[in-house]
Amino acid sequence: MAKKKKKKDGVKIEFLSKLRLQEKAFTEKLDMIMDSVKDENILVLEEALDPEEKAKLIEKSMEECDEKFPGIEFSGFDSQNNWIERIIGRITGKPNKNGLLIVGSSDIMEKVQEDKDAISMIAKLE
Amino acid sequence: MLKRLKKILSGFFGRKDQIKLGIYGPPNTGKTTLANRISEEFTGEEMGSVSEVPHETRVVKKKEKIDLEANGKNISMNLLDMPGISTKVDYKEFIEHGIDEDDAKARSKEATKGVVEAIKWLDKVDAVLVVFDSAKDPYTQVNVTILGNLEAKDIPIILVANKTDLDESDPDSIRDAFPQYNFTEISAKEKDNLENLYREIVENV
Repeated sequence: MAKKKKKKDGVKIEFLSKLRLQEKAFTEKLDMIMDSVKDENILVLEEALDPEEKAKLIEKSMEECDEKFPGIEFSGFDSQNNWIERIIGRITGKPNKNGLLIVGSSDIMEKVQEDKDAISMIAKLE
Repeated sequence: MLKRLKKILSGFFGRKDQIKLGIYGPPNTGKTTLANRISEEFTGEEMGSVSEVPHETRVVKKKEKIDLEANGKNISMNLLDMPGISTKVDYKEFIEHGIDEDDAKARSKEATKGVVEAIKWLDKVDAVLVVFDSAKDPYTQVNVTILGNLEAKDIPIILVANKTDLDESDPDSIRDAFPQYNFTEISAKEKDNLENLYREIVENV
């Protein structure tokens, strides 16, 4: 039987530090993001995702999409790596993840405007 | 630099017989209208149905062996019209467009599968037209993600600012947001400036 959504008083915003995130593999981070977002929280991660990771995030949210969960909204600041830094990151296994990611269910989070260096979002309270 | 090396090597070893040219972008940017224009012009047949309702294309549509000619050059390609990539698919949005609830839910399910399929194809295409609705804000995570993945795989990209027939159209906003890519502006609906796009394809793909 489908779980009935519990009514919340507001939106919980979780901040996760770089230190906490660097201990986790990407698949663990992805599961953690989806669990939290489906629980109607907004997550702020102190690291950027690379393009392949962003594609995986979109894929995962589409796979989990159903009548109760319409998907995600996400935004953030990317690490501005040039191609040499990207290659070095791949060789050393330590890519530059400096940046920020904000992600939430599209039910509660709406992007107002996004640029390379400025973002504004609305958290919807129902 | 890698692109230049690839071009030099392709000069030595010759091009692939059939280039897989993917048409990517968010929903409702006019990808299928553009695919239909290209296909109609070079094969006499359309590729898919178009609609105001988002996610009309929910599976990858292929048109094989299109011989595109422009500027005295030609290229033989398989054209792939991709489902629009999106981070959310809400069946209620389809209901607002007049679709009944059961069909809206079914459409929603198919649309999510289409998005996943389009993402998986990013590994298999040889070149891509990324289509933008030039009346909308171009700097979105969907566009950044598509372009970032193609760039990481060193796949040639042409940005297509579509819907220039609209009053609110602002192609320069796309050029400004992503200045590093080849760029052309068109109206697929009005068949405007398609010759320029064909020239971009034969020159850069």
